[in-house]
Amino acid sequence: MKTKHTYPFIFLTVLLLLCFVANISLGSINIPFYEVFESLIGTAKNETWEIIITKVRLPKAITAIMVGSGLGISGLLMQTLFRNPLAGPFVLGISSGSSLGVALVILGSGLFGGVFATALISKWSIVIAASLGSFFVLLAVLAVSSKVRDTMAILIIGLMFGSITAAVVSVLSYFSSAEQLQQYIFWGFGSLSNLSWEELLIFFGIYAVGLLLSVVSIKGLNSLLLGDNYAKSLGLNLKQSRFVIILATSLIAGTITAFAGPIAFIGLAIPHLTRQIFKTSNHKILLPAVFLFGAIVMLICDSIAQVPTSDYTLPINAITALVGAPVVIWLLVRQRKMMF
Amino acid sequence: MKFIKIVILLLIVSSCKNASKKEINSIPETEKLNLKYAEGFSVAYYENFKVLNITKPWPQAEKSYRYVLISKENMAKTTFARNEYDAIIVNPAETIVVTSTTHIPALELLNVEDALIGFPGVDYISSENTRLLIDEKKIRELGKNEGINTEVLLDINPDVVVGFGVDGVNKTFEVIKKAGIPIIYNGDWVESSALAKAEWIKFFGVLFSKEKEADSIFNHIESNYVTAKAMAKNAADRPSVLSGAMEKDVWYLPNGSSAEAQFLKDANVNYLWNESTGNGSLALSFETVLVKAKDAELWLSPSYYSSLDQLEKANSLYTNFEAFKNKNIYTFANKTGATGGVLYYELGTARPDLVLKDLIKIAHPELLDGYETYFFEKLE
Repeated sequence: MKTKHTYPFIFLTVLLLLCFVANISLGSINIPFYEVFESLIGTAKNETWEIIITKVRLPKAITAIMVGSGLGISGLLMQTLFRNPLAGPFVLGISSGSSLGVALVILGSGLFGGVFATALISKWSIVIAASLGSFFVLLAVLAVSSKVRDTMAILIIGLMFGSITAAVVSVLSYFSSAEQLQQYIFWGFGSLSNLSWEELLIFFGIYAVGLLLSVVSIKGLNSLLLGDNYAKSLGLNLKQSRFVIILATSLIAGTITAFAGPIAFIGLAIPHLTRQIFKTSNHKILLPAVFLFGAIVMLICDSIAQVPTSDYTLPINAITALVGAPVVIWLLVRQRKMMF
Repeated sequence: MKFIKIVILLLIVSSCKNASKKEINSIPETEKLNLKYAEGFSVAYYENFKVLNITKPWPQAEKSYRYVLISKENMAKTTFARNEYDAIIVNPAETIVVTSTTHIPALELLNVEDALIGFPGVDYISSENTRLLIDEKKIRELGKNEGINTEVLLDINPDVVVGFGVDGVNKTFEVIKKAGIPIIYNGDWVESSALAKAEWIKFFGVLFSKEKEADSIFNHIESNYVTAKAMAKNAADRPSVLSGAMEKDVWYLPNGSSAEAQFLKDANVNYLWNESTGNGSLALSFETVLVKAKDAELWLSPSYYSSLDQLEKANSLYTNFEAFKNKNIYTFANKTGATGGVLYYELGTARPDLVLKDLIKIAHPELLDGYETYFFEKLE
């Protein structure tokens, strides 16, 4: 097995590094490559370029890596847990919960007034609201999963929660001002930039815990593929496994949604693409491969979204869907079925 | 025989058409309303009625609107071909509903704010006079512009509703029209220059038969503006100016052909995006703005942020600009009415002279000694 997957892994790692360098080098402003390098090691002569590299592009590239790999992994975990190729971190209702939290802060400030109104533009209030939102949904899903044994039922409950959220958001939207609506809509576009280094540190902390938990659940994930009864016969504590997997997903997807907004498609598409390329369902291989692949795709999507050398940028969500959806469709048509 | 029948039929049809047109064409037009800048409307005067034409109710409008304004007495005596006009309206109007805060100053300047009996979103109104009327319950809340509460509107039954359309698709307005309440589209916001927007006070002058007052008010505003503009030309230096702020990844700024940029040109400052053209605002990446405006001396209207602290909290990247380091940022977001409406949005359109003077005071304080800015404040 080692020989079979070693080269793809080396290839992906090198590709990730290349994408990372390319992502930092490309942007609206054309900065010569050696200046990029000098900015990184702190010997740049042009102060404006140094600000652009160290405060704008570098944090954004790191965010892209965390977002891409994190969403890919949560997608993988959900698809395996629910044994459903359509599952993703967002189907569980985690992103709906975050959206609701953010909507309450941004759009609800008109209804609640006072304290919320002053907190309107604080980034932290949005991050906290998004995390709380996804956390409460997680609690609800956990409560349901302890009562309902059917994973399909849990999926449907996640979808229903999305509907409720949409309804509450539309009521809030109706009573909101144009500025508030704009702010909420822009949050929904998703964004990898505008994170300061301290925000990145907190982001990374939560993300790392989630990642660790998913590594811990590799054995459980592999057994789940064989079915609940088989997993039980292997001596796996199903309840505990499920709990750890759901916790890992909500930590990763929740924090990503909080900091970068609801990024579409990566969570669903990356695990499928990885399975097609590595032709395995062993999570020991899949997990690191999804990590690399998600990070690479996100870096590429972000580079496209920046529309290099133009003055404009596009919303990252549009690019992830535009790149992600056709690839999945193409793979499905070519393979006639989803490898799962 | 058949031929004769057809000829007779044709004659009848063509004479019918003429008969309906005759009514307008037979009455000679006596005068036209004098307009210097505004291009979105025109008014023609006839012996006992006026015809108001709204030629540009919204950008890229393909349809223009015609309204007859006629006194109550004459309305009883005269017949109009109703399908030739979009509405027939009592003149002068005694009760009115307007839908944008930019309409409020015109009513006040003409001293007819008492005629206002309804408004969608009264909390946006900042003017103290009109707020008093709201507190006395003389102005009814109508809900939201795109979804005006038609029941309340029908209940208060104004002589005319002054609406505005973004694209001519507004179901609520259709309902109101069907109920027999005339709606006039106000296109002041489509005009390309500040003085043209301000000249729409004459539109309200026509509705209330106060043309003379409207004319003299506008002349006063215009002469103030022209004098201020001439004075700004004498400024010793032209500070470089940055504008706007980021919404997520995108920095929005007025493009060089916008009314905002015109103000900056008239205030004799060096707006860094003066050369750009196009509709709407510019949407640029942070990198682009930083490279061009890092050393800009002034920073105007950074979105709705009301303090330096808020600006920094929203995005620490803002602190890299010289204007931030030197605290040379000015905003109009802090001057609000009792219920939170921003004064600039309400009064700025009607009083471009005050906006220009504010900008001159900020850019060339030596030229306007003793003048206190009306809308803009330094960000603290």
